[in-house]
Amino acid sequence: MANSIVALRAYRDGLHLIIRPHLSIEEVEKAIQQEMSRMNQPLMGASVQIDLKCPTLKEEEMSYLKSKLQETYNLTVRSIEAIDEQAPPPIAAAPTTHAIQQRTDTQNSRDNEPSKIIPYTIRSGQTEEFPQGSLIVYGDVNSGAEVKAGGDIVVLGALRGNAHAGINGRLSAVVIAMDLVPVQLQIGNFVNRRTINQKPRGYPEIARIGVEDVIIVEKFVKF
Amino acid sequence: MGRVIVVTSGKGGVGKTTSAANLGTALALLGKTVVLVDADVGLRNLDIVMGLESRIVYTSMDVIDKQCELSKALVKDRRVDGLTLLAASQKNNKDDIQPEQMKAICDKLKTAHDFVLVDSPAGIERGFSNASAGADEAIVVTTPDVSAIRDADRIIGLLQHAGIEPINLVLNRFSPQLVGNGSMMDQADVLDILNIDLLGIVPEDAGVITSTNRGIPLVYEDASPGSQAYMRIARRLTGQRIPIPDLEQKGFLANIVDWFTRSR
Repeated sequence: MANSIVALRAYRDGLHLIIRPHLSIEEVEKAIQQEMSRMNQPLMGASVQIDLKCPTLKEEEMSYLKSKLQETYNLTVRSIEAIDEQAPPPIAAAPTTHAIQQRTDTQNSRDNEPSKIIPYTIRSGQTEEFPQGSLIVYGDVNSGAEVKAGGDIVVLGALRGNAHAGINGRLSAVVIAMDLVPVQLQIGNFVNRRTINQKPRGYPEIARIGVEDVIIVEKFVKF
Repeated sequence: MGRVIVVTSGKGGVGKTTSAANLGTALALLGKTVVLVDADVGLRNLDIVMGLESRIVYTSMDVIDKQCELSKALVKDRRVDGLTLLAASQKNNKDDIQPEQMKAICDKLKTAHDFVLVDSPAGIERGFSNASAGADEAIVVTTPDVSAIRDADRIIGLLQHAGIEPINLVLNRFSPQLVGNGSMMDQADVLDILNIDLLGIVPEDAGVITSTNRGIPLVYEDASPGSQAYMRIARRLTGQRIPIPDLEQKGFLANIVDWFTRSR
């Protein structure tokens, strides 16, 4: 995860800006700036709901953030909602933000779930399903084959068939492949179809749900 | 003990029967004893392609029903030594034969022949399981188009599941011109998807149509490119190491670049 304190997510009811436990308001600001720089285009005039996953943010800090979002990023804050995640408050001496994330990011609990390795190529007509966690394929997923996972799907080869990550509705699931040329790709209940004559790009790609409720595909550099 | 090789593809019309007929004849021309088994019960074609349809008296169904001895049902091809055909019944359908019965026939045939080539029907149902029941090895025939390749991929999965090994690929109806102008998949693309060993490439050859209609397999004519390709494949099957020639038609410039890189 590039950003552990702030995350911008697109849900059914619109954009959500998730703020997780942090040490200082400066840190939040920096994290927002980071998250915004990931966007390919500016979010002109969009409205966001702030999901507050930390009880420590003060009233005046909140209003400061609101005006900051409006001025710098042209984002209107629609509402603020405190979400109790039952996570222990961050300890002042916490060594890294990574440690905080591990404890608080329950939606991305990749650390705690099993994954299944398929050490061969999945051919047409074959299906591999693993609802309990993520699937890793040491081979290709050919046209006519199907892979389904409760978590992520990682294909260390070409993904040419159908893939469905997050079959239990997890929208943070991703699909990564060395050659990402699927016939159909699903994450949660979102579907993305292949554009005609899509050629392999020669570099690994990652598909995930981006803003505006669509599956976005981008070059996979690091997670 | 001979080898039972099933010739299969998944998709129809890619050249299973033509390949079985030509490889069987080619192997016989190389001095091997070969029996061709048509496993396409109800839709038999191998007898026509071999030009033996008028001489069939008994079929594999009669052998299974114990109407005749297996050796009596084998039709001898008089043009070349050591080549026989076991025809399929045209009256019955594929469900009338059990995989175990086909396996028993293949097991018996391989004790007396170097090669038993089983011509599989299209599809993945009973006909395919009958054809592959007695097979030690498989030849998957495909053309370089996406639908044939997807079906071939499916068949390879089923063959691997059945423990048939090795599985080799014959790329049929390959057109160097179409590859050259980018409208056909090249062999690297096909092998990248299917990931099995390439036994040979048969170029598109209009002579196949006339040879099928006349009932004379292509390999009796030396000059045709298809004939030469099948002869090379047959030699590879007997264990000879024959390189696969580069059929791809490159532009003038690419040939020059090739020539320079090769000389280094």
